[in-house]
Amino acid sequence: MTIAEIKELIELFNASGVAELEVQRGEDRVRIRRAGTIQEYSTPMPAGAAPGVAGVAQPPAQPSSAPGAATKEPESTDVIVRSPIVGTYYDAPAPGAAPFVQVGDQVEPGQVLCIIESMKLMNEIEAEVAGTVTSKLVENGRPVEYGEALFALRPR
Amino acid sequence: MFQKILIANRGEIALRVICACKELGIRTVAVYSEADRNSLHARFADEAICIGPAKSARSYLDIPSVISAAEITNANAIHPGYGFLSENADFADVCETSGLRFIGPKPEVIRTMGLKQRARAAMEEHGVPILPGSKGILKSAEDAIETAKTVGYPVMLKASAGGGGRGMRVVRAAEELPALMSQAQAEATAAFSCGDLYLEKLIEAPRHIEFQVLADEHGNVEILGERECTIQRRHQKLLEEAPSPCVSHKLRDSMSKRLKKALRAIGYTNAGTVEFLMDEEGELRFIEVNARIQVEHPVTEFVTGADLVKSQILVAAGLHLDEILPRPPEIRGHAIECRINAEHPETFVPSPGRITGLNLPGGIGIRIDTAAYQDGVIPPYYDSLVAKLIAYGRDRSEAIVRMQRALDMFVVEGIQTSIPLHQKILAHPDFQAGRLDTNFLQRTNLVPK
Repeated sequence: MTIAEIKELIELFNASGVAELEVQRGEDRVRIRRAGTIQEYSTPMPAGAAPGVAGVAQPPAQPSSAPGAATKEPESTDVIVRSPIVGTYYDAPAPGAAPFVQVGDQVEPGQVLCIIESMKLMNEIEAEVAGTVTSKLVENGRPVEYGEALFALRPR
Repeated sequence: MFQKILIANRGEIALRVICACKELGIRTVAVYSEADRNSLHARFADEAICIGPAKSARSYLDIPSVISAAEITNANAIHPGYGFLSENADFADVCETSGLRFIGPKPEVIRTMGLKQRARAAMEEHGVPILPGSKGILKSAEDAIETAKTVGYPVMLKASAGGGGRGMRVVRAAEELPALMSQAQAEATAAFSCGDLYLEKLIEAPRHIEFQVLADEHGNVEILGERECTIQRRHQKLLEEAPSPCVSHKLRDSMSKRLKKALRAIGYTNAGTVEFLMDEEGELRFIEVNARIQVEHPVTEFVTGADLVKSQILVAAGLHLDEILPRPPEIRGHAIECRINAEHPETFVPSPGRITGLNLPGGIGIRIDTAAYQDGVIPPYYDSLVAKLIAYGRDRSEAIVRMQRALDMFVVEGIQTSIPLHQKILAHPDFQAGRLDTNFLQRTNLVPK
């Protein structure tokens, strides 16, 4: 990676709302983080909601910009749907089938948005609020980690 | 050889495994909870996956999350470190069925060693001395009273599925036994989902001596000497050293021989520690096997020159012991380890928080295993270990003065640490003379009674 390339990355980063960016090309790796994004721990985090029997309690949805967002920046009123587990993201019930949701679709609470596969089990991720899908943030078939932003929803 | 290893742990041991992998040219995957987003193990691994919120049960202890992280990163093997899932036989099983090599003993061996009464019976069968006690699980209070009468009071009731000092009750007379037994059973059921108890003679002022095991997958077992871990508070080790000041060459050789035979017969593989109590007569009595790498492994590494974590990986990759370390291992010099914890040195109140100032001592004969860094945060959700400070010298006196020098130059600001307590221990004439027993901290008034 040349200095010019790194400079370009920094400019791109500064112009965006992204909090942290890591780029690896071959053996070279660059990580850029916005100052002030180190988390504070003066009080313990609130106890998480008890996980449902069917597996997956979602982490609290926060209106915020999605780190490393693939396409458009969600609006600050949008609710971000985050992955409650580690696994592989699929946007359709089967290969070649129509995706569960598209950008612009209206969704109801309980409606399946996507599947995250973990240890050969397909976990359906459901919307928790009624609203409109404004962004799909992960490519089909990509691995996702806990807390990774999947969708932006504009609540009704 | 493995291409990629996922480390199912955090903190200093995760870094330790990353070090061994780096030296072997193996790529690493770290898993971290949201509380550990800025931790060193996530920073230094080649890849890092967030696997859950702060609470261990939903992150480091969550088997599907850990396995899933290994799947999406195409890891070949998992190193479990110590604590967390390291002695969870179910986890070891799931690794195997998921096509991931678990770097540790086989699941059945972990399971047997995890049931303390079964481990005791297995050791006895193979000629390792155990404490007088019950022949198996106690069937009833009457059964317990009978056994205690034969063994002689005081006795210790112990949870078979427990270990590490938990699920135990001291009984000094028959009248107390039924009530204490119910308490112990309830506690054991709550903590370990198994209320089975066994009983052993209580040694009032024992020393804790443990032997380091390394076995390959071809039936070869080596013992890399012993460690003395007698200085404890509430069964938690504070300071460890190798070799033990009270174990003679003769005792070391004879016990090593017996252990090699027993562990070979049990089919033990990879690293482990066999723990003993030394009674007032200087006899070693087996108490339990920890089927994993231990916190205090660095003192053994210093006196034998072995790299135990690297050895674990090489064993799991199928190498023979002869290809991994010199045999028999030589014990040279003396090493001491202090566990520097984030707690008040007198009240032991936990002291998590941000480290605002940090100076790590260095110099000859000093090793520090830590994931702490300046401006880093010790979170409140996990154990309080900040750093392991290890000092090596050509003999015990030199190790002691080196440790004292290092403790004097170890600066931690922003949180309280146990450094002042360690300084007092090292300075105490009984410690310097090697006059140790597990009541050391109380009888020297270094902790409140």
